Amino acid sequence: MNRSSSETLNRLLLCLAGALVLALMWGPQEGNFGNYWFAIKESLFGPRVLVFLALGVLAFLAMTFWPRVVPFLTRPGVWPMVAGALTVVASQTLMHWADQVGDAKFGTVASAAANTNGLAPLASAFFGGLCWAMLVIVVLLLAAGIVSGLRNFGWAAAVLSVVSAVIAYVSHSAVVDFVGGVDHSLGVYVCIVGYLVLLTAGLVVAMSHAQVANTRRAVNQALGWRPGLPLVLIGAVLGAISLATSTWFSPANRNATLADTRNLFRGTGLAPIAVQYLAWLGWTIFAISLVLSGVASYRRIRPLGWAGAALGAIGVLLTVLTLYRISSIGADLHVDSADGPWQNLGAGGWMTCAALFLIGAGGYVAATAPRHSERTVEVDSDAVASGRSASGAFLTAPGAVRSGLMVAIAVALFYPPTANGFWQSVLVSEIGIYVLLAVGLNVVVGWAGLLDLGFIAFYAIGSYTTAYLVGSLPVKPPSWLEMSPLLAIPFAVVICLLAGLALGAPTLRLRGDYLAIVTLGFGEIIRIVAVNADGVTNGSQGPQSQVPHPVINLGPVKITWGLNQLQYWYLLLVFVLVVVLAFRRLENSRIGRSWAAIREDEVAAQATGINTFRVKLLAFAIGASTSGVAGVFFASQIGFFTPDNFLLNNSILVVAYVVFGGMGSLPGAIAGAALLTWLPEFLKDQVPAADRQMWIGAVVLLMMIFRPGGLIPARRRAVELSGFDQRQRLEPVAVPAGEGL
Amino acid sequence: MNYLILGITRGSMYALIALGYTLVYGVLQLINFAHSEVFMSGAFGSYAIVHLLVGDGKATPSWAVPFILIAGILSGAITAAVIAWLLERVAYRPLRRRGAPKLAFLISAIGASFFLSQLAGKLFGRLTSNSFPEFFDQNAVIFRPFGAEVRVLQIVIVASAVLMMIFLDRLVSVTKLGRSIRAISEDAPTAALMGIDIDKTISRTFIIGGLLGGAAGFLFGLNFSFGNTMGFIPGVKAFAAAVLGGIGNIRGAMIGGLLLGIVENLVPLVNIDTKWTDVVAFVVLVLVLMFRPTGILGERLGRAA
Repeated sequence: MNRSSSETLNRLLLCLAGALVLALMWGPQEGNFGNYWFAIKESLFGPRVLVFLALGVLAFLAMTFWPRVVPFLTRPGVWPMVAGALTVVASQTLMHWADQVGDAKFGTVASAAANTNGLAPLASAFFGGLCWAMLVIVVLLLAAGIVSGLRNFGWAAAVLSVVSAVIAYVSHSAVVDFVGGVDHSLGVYVCIVGYLVLLTAGLVVAMSHAQVANTRRAVNQALGWRPGLPLVLIGAVLGAISLATSTWFSPANRNATLADTRNLFRGTGLAPIAVQYLAWLGWTIFAISLVLSGVASYRRIRPLGWAGAALGAIGVLLTVLTLYRISSIGADLHVDSADGPWQNLGAGGWMTCAALFLIGAGGYVAATAPRHSERTVEVDSDAVASGRSASGAFLTAPGAVRSGLMVAIAVALFYPPTANGFWQSVLVSEIGIYVLLAVGLNVVVGWAGLLDLGFIAFYAIGSYTTAYLVGSLPVKPPSWLEMSPLLAIPFAVVICLLAGLALGAPTLRLRGDYLAIVTLGFGEIIRIVAVNADGVTNGSQGPQSQVPHPVINLGPVKITWGLNQLQYWYLLLVFVLVVVLAFRRLENSRIGRSWAAIREDEVAAQATGINTFRVKLLAFAIGASTSGVAGVFFASQIGFFTPDNFLLNNSILVVAYVVFGGMGSLPGAIAGAALLTWLPEFLKDQVPAADRQMWIGAVVLLMMIFRPGGLIPARRRAVELSGFDQRQRLEPVAVPAGEGL
Repeated sequence: MNYLILGITRGSMYALIALGYTLVYGVLQLINFAHSEVFMSGAFGSYAIVHLLVGDGKATPSWAVPFILIAGILSGAITAAVIAWLLERVAYRPLRRRGAPKLAFLISAIGASFFLSQLAGKLFGRLTSNSFPEFFDQNAVIFRPFGAEVRVLQIVIVASAVLMMIFLDRLVSVTKLGRSIRAISEDAPTAALMGIDIDKTISRTFIIGGLLGGAAGFLFGLNFSFGNTMGFIPGVKAFAAAVLGGIGNIRGAMIGGLLLGIVENLVPLVNIDTKWTDVVAFVVLVLVLMFRPTGILGERLGRAA
């Protein structure tokens, strides 16, 4: 057997094995030892295994013929096709389609529609399989057009996409009308967006190559040369939708848009500013700031950019104020049993906030972009036609990073209020806190290169310090020391700092893996002490009385936390922001560079005059104190906690977040922690809850195999990984397989 | 004295697992975090065979017991070796090819570890304390040195552990494979230049580690109980034992494992409540590392950079 065919065979076996593993992963649960092989039999010895094997064969074919597929991938229209198809598939598998039907998922709605008589025939057909048929036909048409280069396929696909979008919308409305009631689901809208992307793909396929090249060039020039314009565009779309059609006020059984809200509160003593806002001010501010920022970024006029930014900021404040007024007066008048300030607000107001914020941010980016870009974006028409530079010009455009950051901030600020209670609590107690922890650990693991497997210990120390200071532990603090949780932050920071020094001083002389086991031991010791020292920590029960929520009481300003999760979210956001800003300064400071030097080569670092011990100790202490702050948050937000919140598993998970996101990169650590804490909650609805860890393990494993640098690799690491000249590293790959011994 | 015997029993199991960590560390300078799941798979694999052979174990003739024990050890060892081999192929080799940073290996191993333990739970149930059918009187006292009681099971465990360790020691010091392993742990690029097939040797090292770990899984399951999350704590302990003896050093792992097992079981003797056992174990570890920063025997096998 020659070499290439044995490779092919290997690949086939690999794909089939992967398919079998997937079959096992999707297989039934099994609970008892009486029938030991039940799950394996059920998953592997039934007709269902054929589906998985077919998938495996498909994967094998795709891998084998990949070199022949690649030339087609760079043809215009491929990426919109893939993105559009994935969007439609996502909307038809994951999203809610009608809130009144069961769990509102597409599948549930579809089976309900199948069992319902009297539904419009088009809707029955759509939910009965037409949805998938349309998608498949559109994609096949597009693929045929791309492969053959015949434009008519593109036109056909474009027309069919529009038809499909209309059918989807009509069917959805039919179902909603049929069931009656209020519907907040987004599935159909996402589906329509997916079809619009497919429409774009169709149009691109239908155009000639020269036309595509020219269009791309125009788009690239419009967006690439005009910092902030993408932000302004997103803001414009978002703002128009939210002001025109979205729900602003939604107590029970009511979905009031902006105009409805205005009518609802006419003559009820709503504050004049809010009345004006609802009547005309909202639209006007939106329009003026849009024009200002748009012109500023299009013509690159700085003063206009600042003006747009200022107006956007004012608009956000006014919108928030109006939302507050609406909700409180709604509660006063008991409109449809509205609850209170900040309650019962629909997504519309917050979307408007996000839109105004983005428009303002666009103006800001335009105003602060470098006047003469160092990098001239040259649009080579060949490259454009083949699609190579399509995203390149985008990402290297001036202000691109800042724009991305602004979008992230807009999401962080204005998404949480529109989420439901469950996701809000996930945002705070999982995502927010673990992001803070990951950012802290990033200093230790990512920058200084010290493997710390006991990081959660400092988190525990922070929590217990808080519990002590507020008097929730059996050991009471002296009465003059009892305080509110927020004031405990400096104490927790100091104590964690000291704990970090106490752990670090004797152990930091150890080399990497020894340090790992010692920190692991330290983490376990802290937890076991917390479990066993009944007199001090109340043992495995956790603190005996609830850790109170923080209160700020400064005369006129009185804020009480704990009413809902959002307050904690914004507090956390402030802290994460402060920590991230501080760490960003640190990364490129003298100390940050010393850490990098130590990480790369400790001996060399010492030789250049770095006091390695002291610098490592500093990294340890800084990481520990960040963790302590997270601990204070955790304790006061959750109220009751037990030593089981500080298991070794959590320490390992935080390390996984940091490395998954990209070691040593701050955005990476944040993204990694956010993604991996979000994933289990997301999977809760998709797979049996007990299997979540299995899927997460698989995701982490695949990520490390295909992208060892992590989600967003640090710039320094990226260079290390790929090398300046793509040279292979001299690690154990020196001898090709099969040629040794 | 009883405690000492318990300690030796537990310690020999730790030592078997620790050998897996130390072998892999020797050739790759990496902690194989998924080794605890290799150990776990040994218990599950051997259960399948033992259950097949003896049913519920009540009617097992006594002449068959040694054969069943051997079958159990072998089946556990082979299952675990297959898992370890797959692990190397899936979670380590692709990363080595890409020259990934060291921590990426750690995380891919952690991912694999979650995956394996949960997959086993999904397939075979998530009870934490399954036990093997009792096919012989495990607690019969064989003899009583100095008033202590030595039970059949303890003898089985210690004897098989010692046999395997002797076998491993010979394997590493005498055979060609052993020489390749040592060569790679000294200096991988040079070993490659000397004509050693690095990939193959690393693969085989994982297999050897898996064999030992799987046997330990069977013995552990026989002595205590087993379940899909059984690997974690013994895994951490064995890792500690490997570090205690000097990671990368094979004899060190044996000594470290025994020492850790004995220390853990001697805790009640010195008037410390058993709930502090783990604390004492880790404190001993830290103290040893303070005075001998590279473990008791040092890193003779690995490089001491």
